Amino acid sequence: MIVIQVLLITGIIAAFGWFLLNPRSQQTHAWIKIATLLFGAFAIIVVISPNTSNVIARAVGVGRGADLLLYTLTLAFVFVVINLYLKNREERERYEKLARAFALMEANLAEQRRASSKKNASDEGAQGRSATEA
Amino acid sequence: MNRDTYVIMPVYNEAPVIGSVIEELSQAFENIICINDGSTDTSAVEIRKTPSVLVNHPINLGQGAALKTGIEYALQDVNAAYFVTFDSDGQHKVDDALKMLEIAREGEFDVVLGSRFLGKAENINPVRSAFLRIAVLFSNIETGIRLTDAHNGLRVFNRKFAEQLDITMPGMAHATEVIHSLAKSGLRYVEMPVTVLYTEYSRSKSQSLINSVNIGFDLLMKRMARK
Repeated sequence: MIVIQVLLITGIIAAFGWFLLNPRSQQTHAWIKIATLLFGAFAIIVVISPNTSNVIARAVGVGRGADLLLYTLTLAFVFVVINLYLKNREERERYEKLARAFALMEANLAEQRRASSKKNASDEGAQGRSATEA
Repeated sequence: MNRDTYVIMPVYNEAPVIGSVIEELSQAFENIICINDGSTDTSAVEIRKTPSVLVNHPINLGQGAALKTGIEYALQDVNAAYFVTFDSDGQHKVDDALKMLEIAREGEFDVVLGSRFLGKAENINPVRSAFLRIAVLFSNIETGIRLTDAHNGLRVFNRKFAEQLDITMPGMAHATEVIHSLAKSGLRYVEMPVTVLYTEYSRSKSQSLINSVNIGFDLLMKRMARK
């Protein structure tokens, strides 16, 4: 086994292991995990025997294994970007709700304070008047 | 003085004009709600000087989110019957809002929308005008509701519509969302001619036309996410 193969396999196992063990990924769908496992296995096979990718590529009508890799990577990248965009929007909706609840609470408190200080002012005014009358 | 009506005004960096806009509105309306959408200038200070209610977004969330916050605030008052959305940069006329409110009060229509193309758009840049008309065309095709102006910030509606208005998009795409909500609600609506004043100030503030690409994209993604 050449050095680069060892490095690549270690890297692949580390990356996918980290993805699968990460507590956050427990919420991801099971099929994403399965796909990840399959992709990891495929990556290791290709590293050990680079010709496999050529065989698969030819079977699906692509000239070279490297091209097949590029195409699948592009597809995966687009998928990831869209997924991130949707996740991001979901997050945004969550913090928007949080910020709105905070803003409304603050505004209601301020209005209460304003109303009670107005009331106090008019009470004091009434007291002042009765004091002068006395 | 229109005690059952709430004017809802999203504010983002409008310190130079907001005071006078509120001043003018307060001649006709008692309940004015300013949603300061994380302004980086002294808008909040200017609003506090007025009798209007200040609702402060701790961070900038976009105009659609600000409108939603304002509507939620107003809905807390069970006596709130009519809602007016008004732009804070002074491009709308209080008289137009009052006329629209009168129409809403007559009860024949639930939603009264302002249209600058039925009325007058003063000093509008011809490119902007053409752009807005294209936006209207898209909106009409998409929502099945025929309007002459889809992106006018001046609207008057009753509680029925306020309660079902669903704004979830950030930024400016909310104008189309309002029309979506309207289409879904099946409520009765009418357009009224209004004057939009394109002052030097409002021109310098108005969104760039390229932003319509962002709006289109956001709406498209929303549709995809729904399916």
